Amino acid sequence: MESNAMTTYKDTTPAARVDNKTLNKMVWRSMQLQAAFNYERMQSAGWLWAMLPGLQKIHTNKDDLAASMTHNMDFLNTHPFAVTFVMGMVLSMEQQKMDIQTIRSVRISTAAPLGGIGDALFWYTLIPITAGMTANMAIDGNMMGPILYFIIAFGAEMALRYGLMYWSYNLGTKAVSMMTAHAKEFTHAASLLGVFVVGALISNYGGGTHLGISIPNGQTVAEDGKTMVDVFINIQEYLDKILPCLIPLLFTLMCYFLIKKKNWTPTKCIGLFLVIGIVGAIFGIWGGDYTPLVPVPWNVVA
Amino acid sequence: MDFNIIECVLLAIVTFIFAIDQFSLTEIVYRPIIACPIIGLILGDVNMGLIIGGTYELMMIGNMPVGGAQPPNAVLGSVVAMIFAVKAHMDTNAALGACMIFATFGQYVVTVMFTIMSGLMAKADKAAAEANPKGITAVLNISMAGLGGLFALIAIVAYSAGVGMSDTLTEISKNASWFMGGLGAAGGMMRFVGFAILLKIMLSNDLWGYLLAGFAFALILGNIPATSSAALILVAFIGIAIALNDFLTTSKIKENAGSGMGGMSDGI
Repeated sequence: MESNAMTTYKDTTPAARVDNKTLNKMVWRSMQLQAAFNYERMQSAGWLWAMLPGLQKIHTNKDDLAASMTHNMDFLNTHPFAVTFVMGMVLSMEQQKMDIQTIRSVRISTAAPLGGIGDALFWYTLIPITAGMTANMAIDGNMMGPILYFIIAFGAEMALRYGLMYWSYNLGTKAVSMMTAHAKEFTHAASLLGVFVVGALISNYGGGTHLGISIPNGQTVAEDGKTMVDVFINIQEYLDKILPCLIPLLFTLMCYFLIKKKNWTPTKCIGLFLVIGIVGAIFGIWGGDYTPLVPVPWNVVA
Repeated sequence: MDFNIIECVLLAIVTFIFAIDQFSLTEIVYRPIIACPIIGLILGDVNMGLIIGGTYELMMIGNMPVGGAQPPNAVLGSVVAMIFAVKAHMDTNAALGACMIFATFGQYVVTVMFTIMSGLMAKADKAAAEANPKGITAVLNISMAGLGGLFALIAIVAYSAGVGMSDTLTEISKNASWFMGGLGAAGGMMRFVGFAILLKIMLSNDLWGYLLAGFAFALILGNIPATSSAALILVAFIGIAIALNDFLTTSKIKENAGSGMGGMSDGI
């Protein structure tokens, strides 16, 4: 794990521009972004696989390639079609052999917000419109329905992948060479942005982890003043009054502490969360739509 | 229901591909409007495929796989709806209604797979540390084979057991709900490990405040209905302003410190 500690590449001579053939290969490989999707690092393995043709061209030194592959296994979640924008950006930084920490920070700061933009454009706009147009053709037994659907959706997807890759790679190459004059200061600013965005991810993605304990607490007169209604004490609502998303924040900090100070491996942390999740569900502690294994004197709510 | 081995094998193969396609490949072919006619071709009724596919596709608008959320699984839903409609001669709406328990079950399968595949990340890390691209390819292939295989298996079971499966599945999902609830909760927590790994490298002691600030901004923007869907973009905008300011300030300090030194040496 020596490469884990590397903060700069050994060979810091900027590599030659990655040729179009390799860029095209990366565009096609970007389709497998989510092939190894998982809850721990989401798209990371697919991301690295898509980046590999470029990385192998850039890092001829084996130690540098190992360092690059290692940091490209970081947590990543972005829009599967817009990902090539992040790829082009990161590739241009890799090519300039920028500080590893800077690449890491810029990657997560670019990737995270793109997810929202991509979803809004694709899943909420293009697909519903296309489906509205073609679904009725299909229902009428017209084979053109599915064919048109595929051409429009897949065409838009591939145009986006190609366009964004080239645009951001060229953009990145220009921007990156400007930044290298103050490399150390830029690294600090990029880390700042990265940490800021991770903070945002904790509350933005973490909200799913919440308590589902709802304790029945007698009855009270309803607002109409006549009927009686049940009263429940929802523990999560009380927690939210102290600090919303408190549990996601504490869990992240706990993991950070275990990994950084206690040298836990990520796998060990995952095992811990499996136990916390399942044991919690046995006793009906976590929110969700399920029945606890052990009968408990409270209701489980989502 | 008549059992036809060729149909069964072909169905397993396309389900295998659709299962992978729902997250990778084209991410378009698995959509009911395209998948159902293909399944219809295998089962011998393309027209039924078009009708079910079109209806299902319209049902799915507003039920998209966004933001890491897992809606009822469209792949198993399509496969089973087609089996019910063509093989058990159910009408379109009845078949679509009856397939929903399978779609929910498919969602469970995906949750389980995404949890298990977290374990593969250790293998990917090892391959990365050894600068071994083949290792990464292997991780991707294992994941895809696992997901596709499991889906294909369920398609075969659905094909051979037919409508009778629905009751068994309902029973299973009722009895195992605590386990699935637990896996779902654990799955939601695993991203914290990913965040912690990122922080391990980026978080120096002077940046703690920014972590909390990002957390706070996302909470505020995420809880205002008007901004909630764009919360991360807005947070990134704020972050860019702070980071630019940090970059310019520290660069200026360095330049001034440099000129100060220069001035002194000039004096001497």
